[in-house]
Amino acid sequence: MQLRRDIPLAATLCALLLATGASLLAVAWLPAGPRGFAVAALSLVKAGLVILGFMRLHRESAALAGGLIGYAALLCALAGLRIALAG
Amino acid sequence: MELLLWILIWSELAVFGALLGAFLLLSALDPPALTVLHRALDLPLAGIATATLLGSGFFAARAASGAAPRRNLVAAALGGFGFCALKLAAFGHELPALAAMDGRLPELHLLITGFHLAHVLFVALLLLAVAWRPAPRQVATVATVWHLVDLVWLLILPVIYLG
Repeated sequence: MQLRRDIPLAATLCALLLATGASLLAVAWLPAGPRGFAVAALSLVKAGLVILGFMRLHRESAALAGGLIGYAALLCALAGLRIALAG
Repeated sequence: MELLLWILIWSELAVFGALLGAFLLLSALDPPALTVLHRALDLPLAGIATATLLGSGFFAARAASGAAPRRNLVAAALGGFGFCALKLAAFGHELPALAAMDGRLPELHLLITGFHLAHVLFVALLLLAVAWRPAPRQVATVATVWHLVDLVWLLILPVIYLG
């Protein structure tokens, strides 16, 4: 997981706030299936932004960064699946 | 990379992962209980709390990058206290509805969010303690733990609030 440049902190914060707002809008407006996908994808993007943008963990250990993103991906996928199936 | 720090972080993630997994399982088995729970939860307030915690994470990241560590750590801690105040306000009007509900889902919700709230409060106090005499290594460590608290909240949000 080698990024050419670090994501600027201000850009990371803006993206995180936008993704949070988009998640809340998705919950309010989308039907169950797309809502599950949108919530899972946006939550994973937010987790990735914290790990790569705020923690900059890829500098220290690509394996640790990948492990954390994998952990977040699993929980986000399960949450999205539950939303998509159960509404 | 500090081994003990990462053992602590993965232990925390394992505990929260188990609790969130249990919540997902219970809510999948009993969708009507989840619907009732969602009616009791204050989603807009959770959104504001999320923004507050993310803003706080921004200041912690700035401190870890070496920019005015004392001032940024204090700002991050204040964001943490703001998050705590918002969560307590949310609990204030969610609790009566949750207390009237049957089943394990409201209990699990309170356990997860309350446990996370305790983490936020404790680590915010640690941020202030490190801000007293900020040494680069300690600033980086406490910022990493703070980002873990951020990350856990970002995973609580889709499992409990956005479902």
